[in-house]
Amino acid sequence: MGRGLRLLRGVVSTVPGALSLAVVLLALVVALAAPWLDLADPVAMGREVYKAPSAAHWFGTDNFGRDVFSRVIWGTRVALVVAIGSAVLSIVVGAIIGAIAGYFGGLVDAALSRLFDVFLLIPTFFLVLLIVALFGASLPMTMFAIALTTWPRSARIMRSQVLSLKSRVYVQAALASGASHRQVIVRHVIPNGIAPILTDGALLMGLAVLTEAGLSFLGLGDQNSVSWGRMIFEGQRQLRLAPWMSIAPGVAMLVLVASLNLLGDALNYAMNPQLRTRGGAPRRRGTAPPPADEPGEGHGAILRVDNLSLAYRVGRRQIVAVDGVSFSLSRGGSLGIVGESGCGKSSLGSALLQTVPNNADFLSGTVSIDGQTVLAGGRPIARQGRLRIDALRWTHIATIFQSAMNALNPVATVERQLVDAYRHHRRGASRAEARERAGAVFDLIGVPRSRLNAYPHELSGGMRQRAMIALSLMLEPKLIIADEPTTALDMLIQDQILGEIEELRRRLGLSLILVSHDMGAVSETCERVAVMYAGRIVESAPTSVIFSRPSHPYTRALIDALPDLTGARRKLASLPAVTDQATCLDACRFAPRCPHATDLCRTVSPPVVTLMDGHDAECHYAADFAPQPREELVR
Amino acid sequence: MRLLRYVFYRVLQIVPVALIVVVINFLLIHLAPGDVSILLAGEDANPEFMATIRERYGLDEPFLQQLWSYLVTILSGDFGQSYRTGEPVIGLIMERVPATLLLAGSSLAVAAILGTAIGTAIARRPGSFLDTAITTLSIALFSIPVFWLGLMLILFFAVRLQLLPSSGMITIGGPRDGLGHILDILWHMVLPVAALATVWLGQYVRLARVSVSEVLAESYVTTGRAIGYPERTIMTRFGLRNALLPLVTVLGLELGLLLTGAVLTETVFAWPGLGRLIYEAILARDTPIIMGAFVIMSFTVMIASLVTDILYAALDPRVRL
Repeated sequence: MGRGLRLLRGVVSTVPGALSLAVVLLALVVALAAPWLDLADPVAMGREVYKAPSAAHWFGTDNFGRDVFSRVIWGTRVALVVAIGSAVLSIVVGAIIGAIAGYFGGLVDAALSRLFDVFLLIPTFFLVLLIVALFGASLPMTMFAIALTTWPRSARIMRSQVLSLKSRVYVQAALASGASHRQVIVRHVIPNGIAPILTDGALLMGLAVLTEAGLSFLGLGDQNSVSWGRMIFEGQRQLRLAPWMSIAPGVAMLVLVASLNLLGDALNYAMNPQLRTRGGAPRRRGTAPPPADEPGEGHGAILRVDNLSLAYRVGRRQIVAVDGVSFSLSRGGSLGIVGESGCGKSSLGSALLQTVPNNADFLSGTVSIDGQTVLAGGRPIARQGRLRIDALRWTHIATIFQSAMNALNPVATVERQLVDAYRHHRRGASRAEARERAGAVFDLIGVPRSRLNAYPHELSGGMRQRAMIALSLMLEPKLIIADEPTTALDMLIQDQILGEIEELRRRLGLSLILVSHDMGAVSETCERVAVMYAGRIVESAPTSVIFSRPSHPYTRALIDALPDLTGARRKLASLPAVTDQATCLDACRFAPRCPHATDLCRTVSPPVVTLMDGHDAECHYAADFAPQPREELVR
Repeated sequence: MRLLRYVFYRVLQIVPVALIVVVINFLLIHLAPGDVSILLAGEDANPEFMATIRERYGLDEPFLQQLWSYLVTILSGDFGQSYRTGEPVIGLIMERVPATLLLAGSSLAVAAILGTAIGTAIARRPGSFLDTAITTLSIALFSIPVFWLGLMLILFFAVRLQLLPSSGMITIGGPRDGLGHILDILWHMVLPVAALATVWLGQYVRLARVSVSEVLAESYVTTGRAIGYPERTIMTRFGLRNALLPLVTVLGLELGLLLTGAVLTETVFAWPGLGRLIYEAILARDTPIIMGAFVIMSFTVMIASLVTDILYAALDPRVRL
């Protein structure tokens, strides 16, 4: 199975993962081979009692003259039997019951879920202890008792897996095509849901070993088997006389349990590689001093971007998200950056703000905001150890994130967040002053001041977005970057918010960059439009020109994908899916999806064609497309 | 007001769980091999005592009637008597609770505070060498059998170095009041707390690391950075403040695990708490004490999870009240 192999590769790619897998496999081999290894009889008593470790007895002998090394090796068998036995029992029972709960939902799910919750609250060790105390201490009883207390763990995982799988397309399709419940569960649900359960299985095995040891240590171990817990139990009484009796089995247990836990951890990371590296504080990047030839604050364009490139490191691959982008924005101007998801438009936005994730590198580029260079040659500008962008943040350049994405701190009121931002930049401003400013901004955007005391989650989607806009306006920035500010909102609210942003922009003389996948949204708000495809701006022009004379086939496709409310009904155009984000540099990136692509497009990357002043397109045939009315190209 | 209503409903939810715990206990007694009355009264109880027990639990009545009698008896706080001493179980258990709370509470405080600090620190550099090393180490720490660690600490600090006491809570013949008494107890606490806290420390480092790095990947943290807050502010006001909430919940949920560790540690260090009581009960086959301990531990964990949930509701404005 390809997936299993990939998982395995993920596990062994890290040192702890590879090491723990090796230890677990070694333990398995040792446990299986114990009878054939040339070991002393683990239960045979001898005359050589309390012998310290030596060449004859590697780990010494115990109070009955038994060889400790041999007992530790045989103990591996018991440990693994308990671990595997309880885990398998727990997983089988749990997976089945969890799948039933998730799959059928409704009352079945409600009842079973309550049961899982009850078990979560019962201190399992004490239940196991009670069961073993009442029913007699034996290995099977121990395994049974452990599984009885742990199966709800597997069941809960399976249930949530099934719930998320159930909504996926292929399961829906299988159901629609008339497959029986049993078939769907066996073919689709179990194979896909089992991976996280197996990860938990490794942890379960570790827990089982520790539980068995704990029981043995309390005198509730199987009298007839050589278990590590029992050895420590017996060793405790000889601690002063023969410490090696308890040291060796404890180390063995520690190594096995730690390996099982590390293996579970490595499996988890192999399944979700982003978990390992996401988050974190921004890393330090190499900086550059400010250049001598900058216009200075208040001069030149509000934003100038020259040859900006940004790449992400994912594993060993490098993905170029922004590839040599240049543009500038005049003071008070507005620019829409449009493209499908994954085209690099949001990366471009965060690159301008220098809030890119740690696995992103600036490959090249110069950016200046309000006449002050903040990035030169791909290096952030710093002066006396302070990043220049820090001085410009929120006072010169602010941002409006999509608020549905948790863009506001959930544990602070809106007012608190506005006030904090204000006082952070206006040193010495009083709390009252900051409050007044927050109120004024709320007045400005037409939200009643009473909403200031709300927590973000208490606001509707539209209100939350307005709160985010208010936050961005707190320090009267000159430039605002709005990244999909209306995406998760319903159409009516979208329109309102866009209208409000546009009005604010005019009233306050702001400059605006609106990043969106929606050509319609941009057309209503922005004076200019830049269309992005695969990390490059492929066409840019004033909004009216883009719509009347689109000269790049991709721009045309974007416009044709807009529903038209007034004209005659027609089929909406759609593009063929992306085959592979074009990486070959000697071709037009759009060629694989372009209905008009020729051999020239597939072999030579297109030049920037200037069609008129302020209208550029990156297409071999831009000049041919420009004069043609749109309709002809749709078919 | 809304918080009060939430507390009320949350308490209501606890009731069925508590009932189920008692029912499990009841079923176990009846399923276990051997005569129920012997399990409840002890093997060498005299016939009169046996008769009182049969009467109290209604053992000659129909099954459901018995369940009812058992529920009523347990919920009125009557857990029966110890075989050995004849003392009521509830009194024996309550007598031991303070020592266990002292041990578990101090270890928890040490582990949670230190663990959160270390976990937060390594969450700043996910995937770095230090992160991998400390994460691996903390997984190894919580894989240590706590009773074994206790033995090793005794071996080194009490036997080899003869530095610290290896067992008990007080020095026999030592000071019994005032500062001397308190210092004596603290002195005896060092090793058991070290053993327990070491194991839990691993747990908390790991939890804090995961929780904080999850929060740091949230968009509001990016907003905070775009606003220009220094990293210290981001860490406290945005990161830790949001990450602490899940940590508190886990604290409540894992209490059962914590008590397990405490019981095993007490056994090693002869600490006069619940664990020691359970251990002695197992050795003497004193079943009523083991059953009573299970029920009380379950109730404790339930109440603890109730308290953490209410704490959570008070701390996190998002919890729908």
